[in-house]
Amino acid sequence: MKNPFIPRKAIIEKITYLTEKEAHLLLKVDEKGFSYKPGQFIEVGLFGFGEIPIGFASSPNRLPYFEIVVRNVGRVSGAIHKLKEKDEIYFRGPLGNGFDVDFMKGKNILIVAGGIGLCPTRSLIQYILDNRKDFKDFVLFYGTKTPQEQLFQEDLSNWRVMKEINFCETVDKPSPDWKGNVGVITTLFKKVPINPDSIVVICGPPIMYKFVMAELSGIGIPKKHVFVDLERRMKCGIGKCGHCQINDKYVCTDGPVFRFSEIENLEEAL
Amino acid sequence: MAVFYYFLKEKDFPAFFKKLLKKGEVYGPKAKGDFFVFDKLKKLEELRLDYDVTILPPKKIISPPEETLLHFSKEGAQSPKEVEEKVLFGVHFYDIKAIDMLDLLFQENFPDSIYLSKRKKTTIIGSSIERISKRAFWGSVGKHIGPQGHDGFFTKIKDGYLYETLTEKGEKLLKYGEFQPANSDQIKEAKKKNKEIMEKCPEKLIWDSSTIAKTVRENFKSPLWEILSKKCFSCGTCNMVCPTCYCFDVQDYFNFDGETGTRKRHWDGCLLEDFAKITLGGGACENFRGKRYERYRHRAMRKTAYLNTKLGGPACVGCGRCSMQCVPDIADPVNIIKSFMEVK
Repeated sequence: MKNPFIPRKAIIEKITYLTEKEAHLLLKVDEKGFSYKPGQFIEVGLFGFGEIPIGFASSPNRLPYFEIVVRNVGRVSGAIHKLKEKDEIYFRGPLGNGFDVDFMKGKNILIVAGGIGLCPTRSLIQYILDNRKDFKDFVLFYGTKTPQEQLFQEDLSNWRVMKEINFCETVDKPSPDWKGNVGVITTLFKKVPINPDSIVVICGPPIMYKFVMAELSGIGIPKKHVFVDLERRMKCGIGKCGHCQINDKYVCTDGPVFRFSEIENLEEAL
Repeated sequence: MAVFYYFLKEKDFPAFFKKLLKKGEVYGPKAKGDFFVFDKLKKLEELRLDYDVTILPPKKIISPPEETLLHFSKEGAQSPKEVEEKVLFGVHFYDIKAIDMLDLLFQENFPDSIYLSKRKKTTIIGSSIERISKRAFWGSVGKHIGPQGHDGFFTKIKDGYLYETLTEKGEKLLKYGEFQPANSDQIKEAKKKNKEIMEKCPEKLIWDSSTIAKTVRENFKSPLWEILSKKCFSCGTCNMVCPTCYCFDVQDYFNFDGETGTRKRHWDGCLLEDFAKITLGGGACENFRGKRYERYRHRAMRKTAYLNTKLGGPACVGCGRCSMQCVPDIADPVNIIKSFMEVK
């Protein structure tokens, strides 16, 4: 029987610092046949330090290369931040359910990403852009506290001018040279009309969900058309260790993507 | 495999057990001070089939408090060595039920080879309850689910033991003793004994498990949780002594060379303060069950409701270990359940 705790190896091809704290890693996996869905995650780690759950930040179309973003907040992420290009890193996955992209096909899409929530949703953003004909209108809302915290600057510059994506951004606290929208992410709903038959994906800090849901219900988007990507302490990633459990659900195996209708009455979920 | 019944005379038991001890590792109940523990047995005299309940459940033999998941080096990771075959002897039916639940939970989704390979190498032999612990309520919890997954079962009857074999692993023990086919009176006597003892627990639930699950679950937002958990130390003892708790934490350990090492898991408990806590960096963190009563409620929900669909019944077998070992005595599932069932 296969030991589910044995990780596979990847090589770090490139490291870019998106901010002081966020390292953007381009990884290459040697094994053939490795694939994943947008919204799935890996347990990435280093021997002697441990593992952390991180969502894929790139579309599976780019394999054998894939990307993740690691924020330096603890023991494992701190150790990863010390790595250099061409170093080895270990990971288990893909884990979790991922986004139901087949359900989303042929529909209008709205993605609402707050802060670091742009990283896991970027796998879906890229996927939609790679397969643009399969989707109708595509709107992306992105909010951060400050302009300095904006991730993937290069992507953002592209998205600002691309016809394929209606990209709207906002910051809570502007810098003197900020020319864009100021205010929390929900202020963008007043600027951009959203089609009530849209499929919505929300990923961001827990506080954001409540306010975004209020806007969506105002538009008349049914809760079953809203997907949320949850964050928990997913230690084992295989539905055993119990840390990510919310009621009878394990976020690592039943999620991390849930339909809002599935969890709105689930206490402790949001 | 069909079930077979044998009889072993009282006077033949010592010879049988000594032979069993000689043939390999045997773990069973033995005395430790005024209490009992499951441990490796070296001689017959250590075996105490008259135990009431052990401090820790026999789960620890299959899923120990600290367990290696992999060894690592510059070359990569390696699985730990397979363990030797062993016999887990003298397990009460409620602990057999608990192990059966763990079997399912470690098997589902991603099968946990670390647990399952140890489990496969373990022969589980049950034994009848000869003494009832002070807080037991196994007679009335999840009654519709019987013990299963074990290999054999000894029941003390007049002049000896009825030995029931359920698997080939259980049959293998026959060669160590003077077993003879049991007669129908002996089978009847054992069945009667194991049935009658179900009524003798000091604590009792008078509701069926689905009614309990529904009521407790519906009371998620009840103010009672805060009241019930007021004296909780968040010490996690109720988790550590529970035969159906299986949550764990994972930690890496370097060897002295600073290159090789081991990734291990350790028992963890949902009552402990940082169980659901994550860091956000810069000293900030988010705790998804930061309040004491939330953690207390989570355990109660897991034991009475959350896992019932998967397991076909509650994830509690009524051993009473948490009731006995909780210092402020607030962990007793019977009392928790009563609080909600009898609320006006």
